[in-house]
Amino acid sequence: MRAISLLLAVVLGAASTAGAMLLGAREVQAQQTAAGSAAPEPHATPAGGLSQSDIARMLPATDMGAGAARAGNPHPADMGDSPATPFDAASIPPNPLAPQADPIGAKSCVACHAQENVQASHTLHVASFRAGAANTGPQAACESCHGPGSAHAKDPAAPGLIIGFTHDSQTPPPTQAGVCLACHAGGARQHWIGSVHQNRGLSCTDCHNPMARLSPEGVLAKSSINEVCATCHQDIRAKFNRRSHMPLPEGQMACTDCHNPHGSITRPLLKTDTVNETCYTCHAEKRGPFLFEHAPVRQNCLNCHDVHGSNQQTLLVAPVPMLCQQCHTMTLHPNDLQSAAGLGTGPHPDERLIGRGCLTCHSNIHGSNNPSGPKFHK
Amino acid sequence: MLALKGNRTTPTALALALLCGLSGTPDVRAGDTSGTIRVGDMQFGNALDLRGWTPMLQPADPDGVSYLHAGMRRTPTGALYPYPPLADAGKPLGQGDWTYAGLIELGYLHVGGDRNAEYFRQYADWKSGAVLGLFALNFDNRKTGSYVELRGSRLSGDDQYYRLRAGRYGSYRLEGFYRDMPHTVSTRAYPIWNGVGGTDLTLPAPLVAGASTPAQVAAVSAAAPRRSLGLTRTRAGLGYEGVLYRDWIGSAAITNEKRSGTRLWGGSMFFNFPFPDDGGILETVRPIDFRTTDINLSVRNVGKLWRFLATYNGSFFRNHKDHLNFESPFALYNVAGTPQMADIKDGQFSLEPDNDYHNLRLDLTRELKWNGQFSVAGAWGTMRQNDALLPPTTCTGVGGIYIAPPADYTFQCANWNTTAALSQKSANARIDTGLFDARVTFRPTPAFGWHAGLRWYREDNKTRYLAYNPLTGQYGYISENGSQGSVVPGETGIFDPTNPLYWSRNVTVRNVPFGYTDTVLELGADWQPGRKSSLGVTYTYDHNRPKYRERKRVDEQRIKFDWVSRDVIGATVRLSWEYAKRTGDRYNYDPYVPFFSRSLPGFVDPANGLPAHTVADMRKYDLSDRTESKARAIITYPWGESATLSATFYGNRDQYDALIGRQHTRTTGATVQWDWQPTPATTVNAYLGAETSRLGISNVNDADGPDNGAVFGTPEQVNPNLGGPLYPFANQWWELDRERNRNGGFSLSHDFGRVRADLRYDYTGSLGHVGYSYATIGALATRDPASVAAAAAGFPDNKYRTNTLDLGLSFTVSRSVGVRLFGRYQSGAFSDWHYAGLDNTLSYDHRLYTDKGGQLHYNVSLVGVMLNLKL
Repeated sequence: MRAISLLLAVVLGAASTAGAMLLGAREVQAQQTAAGSAAPEPHATPAGGLSQSDIARMLPATDMGAGAARAGNPHPADMGDSPATPFDAASIPPNPLAPQADPIGAKSCVACHAQENVQASHTLHVASFRAGAANTGPQAACESCHGPGSAHAKDPAAPGLIIGFTHDSQTPPPTQAGVCLACHAGGARQHWIGSVHQNRGLSCTDCHNPMARLSPEGVLAKSSINEVCATCHQDIRAKFNRRSHMPLPEGQMACTDCHNPHGSITRPLLKTDTVNETCYTCHAEKRGPFLFEHAPVRQNCLNCHDVHGSNQQTLLVAPVPMLCQQCHTMTLHPNDLQSAAGLGTGPHPDERLIGRGCLTCHSNIHGSNNPSGPKFHK
Repeated sequence: MLALKGNRTTPTALALALLCGLSGTPDVRAGDTSGTIRVGDMQFGNALDLRGWTPMLQPADPDGVSYLHAGMRRTPTGALYPYPPLADAGKPLGQGDWTYAGLIELGYLHVGGDRNAEYFRQYADWKSGAVLGLFALNFDNRKTGSYVELRGSRLSGDDQYYRLRAGRYGSYRLEGFYRDMPHTVSTRAYPIWNGVGGTDLTLPAPLVAGASTPAQVAAVSAAAPRRSLGLTRTRAGLGYEGVLYRDWIGSAAITNEKRSGTRLWGGSMFFNFPFPDDGGILETVRPIDFRTTDINLSVRNVGKLWRFLATYNGSFFRNHKDHLNFESPFALYNVAGTPQMADIKDGQFSLEPDNDYHNLRLDLTRELKWNGQFSVAGAWGTMRQNDALLPPTTCTGVGGIYIAPPADYTFQCANWNTTAALSQKSANARIDTGLFDARVTFRPTPAFGWHAGLRWYREDNKTRYLAYNPLTGQYGYISENGSQGSVVPGETGIFDPTNPLYWSRNVTVRNVPFGYTDTVLELGADWQPGRKSSLGVTYTYDHNRPKYRERKRVDEQRIKFDWVSRDVIGATVRLSWEYAKRTGDRYNYDPYVPFFSRSLPGFVDPANGLPAHTVADMRKYDLSDRTESKARAIITYPWGESATLSATFYGNRDQYDALIGRQHTRTTGATVQWDWQPTPATTVNAYLGAETSRLGISNVNDADGPDNGAVFGTPEQVNPNLGGPLYPFANQWWELDRERNRNGGFSLSHDFGRVRADLRYDYTGSLGHVGYSYATIGALATRDPASVAAAAAGFPDNKYRTNTLDLGLSFTVSRSVGVRLFGRYQSGAFSDWHYAGLDNTLSYDHRLYTDKGGQLHYNVSLVGVMLNLKL
């Protein structure tokens, strides 16, 4: 009840603040609209009643001769010891929806996409392109990803004439991914094909946005890795708020510390060959091998732990002794039904229930290296 | 235009584009890094700034990303991209091509209220004092693509990070970092021992090891000061990645991690529950003094047809405190009632041994015809340790019990307290792993694709240990520091084929080298009936052959259907449903005979036979027959121009074919989230989530006492069957863990121009209830009237709840100077019946606890002022 009361109080308090903010927001929007009136209008309607030919006439001539330069050699030679980055050799992907289109050069693109140019220029992605192009002459930074732009320039409102990477784009996700993989294949993306993210129809730009610096690193689609992952995996994100959890909510870890969202040879996209190998990377003391092993521990940490978050101590999937009594029904002490009688407040306090329960005695539950440790007491 | 002419051209074009994409230019060599291959250090942040760069994201660009399009673009799935921050072109550095940009945010933090609440500071070292919110300094050369980046933050000496990166885009990158990460284990710990944090826990005066009364122990415990237990993880690393030669890219990284601190631990001097005023149950504190050095090397080549990746991962763990000695205050008495000859008062743990790990893996991928791809990966790994073993016990003098000739159950500690009592002086432990993974994918037409995969993985445990004492010719070990055999005659842990007192003792004499070989075959196909939808099906056959387990073979067949549509009333919907059935060969409830003394020559069956190891109807849940079904729906709905509504619905059902053991699990949950970005100045978010889960088990108490059958020690004790005399139906019981989780919250941020206001509220709450039922009171651990009455009342609920309210105001003083005021208020509630009563006392007869558990209620506030300077 106290939580609900507090919630209501906060909602009421916030509502008045929000009202003021939104009034302010409308003003900002109005100002923005006014300011934007000098720029071309959105794509749905030709700006200011301009026809397609008007638009085509207003565009500058291609600045680089990129189309001609690439006609005979779409993959310019490497620049050897040039100070330019290897990005300068990036090719222009064909647009399956506009196969006859020719490159027109970035200057033409920027004539309309001025603000995109401002934002993109400050991203790691485009800045690296620019660094290459600055030294090697005619290149097509925009068209290296968006494909040749002539068809789009002639008919900007027609969808599909340029390779797009957003929700309204006509370019299918596999085509989008293909563009990115043209440069980014291999390495961390060696197993993209066949990964669950690829199978579920994700595009690279579901997680990345190379057109704006939304994150200082990783050209992410949101402001951090964890926010990107939580876009779809909201339930997993919520588990990190439970009593025991990995330190994601405290900003110390990212989902990608353990998972490779670009694909791996494991079903949950782990970075290593098995669950345990991933866990051992940070919990190397659990690796052993020990003189005496505990079978479910060695087989899979997830037998006992819910690594994303748990309502029990130390990420356990069930409270002790219940956790242990799922398997241990041996004669004498393991198979008794523990009840409230055994609590610290009960008539018969019982060490199998209080505090760490079973682990008070079987402390080396992950394995013992003691000659007297077959039952993990030592 | 082609897209407008009909769908027929689209698939062909799509295939062409994909093919072109996949076989695109290899000239871009070091286009990105291998960061997402290596585990760890992907995130540098802290509780003050979860992202690690939040101040760099403000203010948002009022023009958004485009003059052409109102609002923001969406991801292909339909989620809104945030408004980007106002681009900062940086400042020129000298006359050259370099520019720089940076900011520093520093200020003061005040923490009030219950600042030591465990769940407030679990992974954050909140302290009142000066803090460095963020220091970021970037140098860029727009002409060459060279850069240098420095980033750091400091909450305290145990909660900080600093990282330096330098390189040239697409050519190479150097990285060095240092970070401290805190982990609070308990803030309500009351250890009585001297030497906490070290390897020797000694009792304070007036307590005397092995000779103190429970009242004396309780008095010392009550006077023990409150302490916090926890550890700090300190990591430092260096890495390089860059072009080695032509299209070959290499990376090398070394990371050194030190973990230091303390954790709660145990200490057993035999049971107390069946033996009032006897035994010893101790919750001790162990030291953490670990060092791990990781070395990661990789080399890769990306060509038009072939892609090659070789990785080596080496990890070298060193534990600088590999044992823990502790003194037990409690006196032991033998149940035979004879004078106690043994003086067992010291305990010892072996803590984790050092270990070395090597893993070499090769991945090879080739493009094939029909838009296909073939990938193969092979890996070999080994983990090894050869630490010196500790002796079986540290006791001195005589252990065990002397009754009367010939019932002399004593043992000479001198025969067991040196490593001369061992068959080998070091562990010589080793597990080798092998992996082969192959996958082939074809998409002969854009509308149809199929794939097949084969994975083989083996874990081969080569550790062999025989518990044999060459000094005595006996097998086995000394149980619980010698305490068990000093309380119950003969339960020393020893098997001696020459001594009638010990020749029927069934004790562990060998280690069990668990291992397994897992083979997984996968076949799948997907079909795209339309441009915006796809349907997939995947069949998986998992054949596992565990070694030395209850089953020699476990097979699971799984079929999964998934459906994706990008246009369900404008929403993107991803649905999946899977069904799996696990079976196996005959379940052997006791496969461990070869590892016990009953397998040795000279073992004599006791007159009444050996008691059944366990109930034959037990099915361990990682091996039992099981049916499983899972369903999940992820929906993303673009709501107007500036909002997104997203939701997740999911459920899992597992049914285990087990009379005894885990019987079922169920999880059902849903989340819903609303994101709204009406302008660059305003963002709003609200979310709700709910999940319920159940876990049901059954077990059966053995008839070991006069009030529940008293079969133990009779000829009927050999019967392992449920419903038999040792495990009667009357003693069966069932337990159900039900958990309910709720979370919700909202956030609001608005930029008024000179000031930006942030408000955020988060609630998380869980309720856990462990319920049980039983056939008769024979199932209960204790069956006197008071216990039966208490059992009928059931366990109280477990709760965990936090409410967190964050408020922030950021003022723009000038283009380069800003001030941020912020505050947090958090209240929390916690209860867990494991800790019931421990608030009042940590001492119960011969049991002594250290931790009182999380704070039951707490309120904490945090206010801060930060000065933000653009450099």
